[in-house]
Amino acid sequence: MNSDDALPGLPSPQRLKDYRIWDSYFTPSYAHPGRDGSSQLIADVERSLPAIRAGHFERLCYFAHVGLGTTTDADYETLAQTQPEALLKPLETWPDMLMGMIMLNGQRVDASLDALNRWLRDGPMLGVYFPGGGPAALSCSHPNFHKLVQRIAELRGVIVQHTWFKTGGKQSPGESTPSELAELAARYPEQKFICAHAGGEWEKGIRAVRESPNILVETSGFDATAGFIEMAVRELGPERIVFGSHLPSRSLGTELGKIIGASIPERAKSMILGENYRNLLQPILTSKRT
Amino acid sequence: MMDNTSQMSRRELLAVSAGAASALALAEEASAFAELEVPQKRIIDANVSLFRWPFRRFPLDETRLLAEKLQSLGVSEAWAGSFEGVFHRDVAGVNSRLVDECRKHPIFLPIGSVNLTLPGWETDLQRCLGQHNMVGVRVHPNYHGYTLEREAFAELLSIAAEAGRFVQIAVSMEDTRTQNELVPVADVDISPLVPLLKQHQKARVHLLNYRPQATFLEQIRELPGVYFDTARVDGTDSIPRLVEAAAPGRVLFGSHAPFLVPEAALIRTHESGLLDTHTLQDVLADNANRFREAESA
Repeated sequence: MNSDDALPGLPSPQRLKDYRIWDSYFTPSYAHPGRDGSSQLIADVERSLPAIRAGHFERLCYFAHVGLGTTTDADYETLAQTQPEALLKPLETWPDMLMGMIMLNGQRVDASLDALNRWLRDGPMLGVYFPGGGPAALSCSHPNFHKLVQRIAELRGVIVQHTWFKTGGKQSPGESTPSELAELAARYPEQKFICAHAGGEWEKGIRAVRESPNILVETSGFDATAGFIEMAVRELGPERIVFGSHLPSRSLGTELGKIIGASIPERAKSMILGENYRNLLQPILTSKRT
Repeated sequence: MMDNTSQMSRRELLAVSAGAASALALAEEASAFAELEVPQKRIIDANVSLFRWPFRRFPLDETRLLAEKLQSLGVSEAWAGSFEGVFHRDVAGVNSRLVDECRKHPIFLPIGSVNLTLPGWETDLQRCLGQHNMVGVRVHPNYHGYTLEREAFAELLSIAAEAGRFVQIAVSMEDTRTQNELVPVADVDISPLVPLLKQHQKARVHLLNYRPQATFLEQIRELPGVYFDTARVDGTDSIPRLVEAAAPGRVLFGSHAPFLVPEAALIRTHESGLLDTHTLQDVLADNANRFREAESA
């Protein structure tokens, strides 16, 4: 086909480029990057490349396990602590495409504070991700979060919190809901928070964060249910929504489809697909440049 | 992070497909897109629904708007069930309204609902097949409260097969994690299909909104009558892997619109660059054509 032709269901290549897509939730080998620190993760980035290119993404942000007990592999945790340079290979391989944040462990505050210095203050990472499952999951209503949020704010980092509202309630106590994130965010009005997956059950999730202007919702992690983006734009405004792909375990179709298939203005699509996330990253990117 | 433990992993899919004749041309580079011929034929969407879902309004739940959107995406024919058929008990009325609506918007082919727990379901079925001359019928065992081991289901399969029509089983309508708290509905257990289809070799069954599981795919690979769609098969390379794991010709394009954004499944068919042009055309239309024509032959 001609490279200017749109593929089925997608806008034209030029329109996709014009969106300047920055992906806030890229999950290659999410649970474990490989025993050497990166091989599985790199394989999953390569698996995602066709979709990344079809979508004409500019940049993607993934979440690194940095030896804080966020995996269940003791050998890997030791490697991450003793040979942190082994974790940098993805960023070295795709320096213009990939960005990174670190997975924090709210159960290990002191080690997490050390990691913030190593990876955000002195290293290449731009923010943190608090997981909703696995050994490091801790509800964001826990008081351990306060010291961490304060330090992240000092470093101008971005905070991504995994959230879900599940029918029948939490499946494990470490999960966080958008309501709990709203309570945390209320204590730090100058800090921005990303509510990952908009709570999954987005009709409740959007409502839960509606009155929290320092919370943005992230769009990935559930089926491409119609009406989600329209409600989010109506209730939050397009400036409080950031795109996530969840590749490769989710798909370009599901996640990009939510945005491009929504009945919203093109300007709003541009904001959601890239501009808002760039704005969010601006303070830490600026501080690293200076 | 999602925890789709029930969904088939890429590794499992590959394991299932080991040794099977490959339907794929595995692209080594993303540059495969440059060589991908976009199919020129029109697309058949084998999985849409009309009217209103009771728990949420969808931007495309007006039939005219849905028709326009599907046509803008290249869909020339869509097999339409009715959301009313999930919840209403006057099923004859549901099916009549569906037929009338499809007459007004000829892109849609009506697929009538049958509720096997209601007295006189056989009459509803006969009206679908006879009076309305539908090419198939749709059942919702989980919302209607029965399993596929119910005797009436075998009877339905037999009648439909004898009439040369297909049966669509809606395995799910919505992720169990996001359903209304008062109406939680588990996905349909489809394991009873294996022995049933061994007994009903002429039956043709389309599983709507099914997320592949390795064990089931292994069990049904040699059975002639089970078909899948693309609506809720997620993961960037999930559809090519399903095409490879299932028997040839068994994957139909289905969007589950207007519940889901129709672009989602459509983009998913080609985003990995793993399906060659011919196989992509099979998924987008030709498999559905063959599935339907086999029924009416």
